[in-house]
Amino acid sequence: MKPSTVLIVDDSRVSRMLTRQHITVRHADWVIEEAANGNDALVIARDLQPDLVLLDVNMPGMNGVDAAAALREMLPNAHISLLTANVQAATRQRAEAIGVGFMEKPITAERIAQLIAPLEA
Amino acid sequence: MIRLSDLEHDALVELFNIGVGQAASAMSEIVSETVTMAVPAISFLNRAAAAKLLASKSTGSGRICGISQRYSGAFDTDAILMFPEEKSQEIVRLMVGQAMPLDELTAMEQEAMSEIGNILLNSCVGALANIIGHELHGSLPDYHVGYSQDILALSGDSETVVLMLHIEFVVERQQIAGDVAFIMDMSALQDLKQHVALYLARAFGGEQP
Repeated sequence: MKPSTVLIVDDSRVSRMLTRQHITVRHADWVIEEAANGNDALVIARDLQPDLVLLDVNMPGMNGVDAAAALREMLPNAHISLLTANVQAATRQRAEAIGVGFMEKPITAERIAQLIAPLEA
Repeated sequence: MIRLSDLEHDALVELFNIGVGQAASAMSEIVSETVTMAVPAISFLNRAAAAKLLASKSTGSGRICGISQRYSGAFDTDAILMFPEEKSQEIVRLMVGQAMPLDELTAMEQEAMSEIGNILLNSCVGALANIIGHELHGSLPDYHVGYSQDILALSGDSETVVLMLHIEFVVERQQIAGDVAFIMDMSALQDLKQHVALYLARAFGGEQP
């Protein structure tokens, strides 16, 4: 079975590091790429064609919601989820409206396990 | 000076209590420890008095690591999360685990503390926004180290009377205490008072309690 590819989009290096760590513990062979903002995420995603994209919302440049909407069109079959400290109902509603998931921070092993579960099925 | 009725005051304390409860829960997940919090105290203080209050509680060097975010929308506020400077590395260690070498940990301390601030402040403000039913837009976090007067001087006009919401939470086993302060000018406080009144009206079915 081909290893899955994951794109982590977060301006916080420590958040990217924690997310990567929680995925790698379970799947050392998965290909994981990182971007620090929405603009870079779109460029990387075009080549990588990730199976899963996890996006923070508040980032410099293109925010996570706008990037997720663009990625939803670019990658209709990918699993895409916001992974954010912004727990406001308005943000959850935006995620639902553009057809992506929502997971609140902080990043924990349990939350990452939930996010990658669709790729393990 | 804006006056709050007893009921509005109680409602305001309760709203921030719920918000900080969310933040304490997030903090507990970050550090994998029990986090307790005190009932929030609301006071109208000028910046100097607020700094004095914080300084009176400080331990160690007295220097504080502060992470601030500006929120605008339903009401405008500068939210500041504060920890004693000497505890910040300990907090980051709890967040990233024991495996990371010390030099790497030190290099990423500022960034990790900013992210912790981002998570905690957004947990708190997000809970508030959800209760009052209006969105609040947050800036990216700013990280500063200094004495309480330096940290509090980072926002607003030094002459403005501010509403200081002072909330302490404690990471029990590590003996780490932090504070959250929300600084608002009179115009923002007027907006907040209005939202509290609407919240009370909704909570009591439109009847004046």
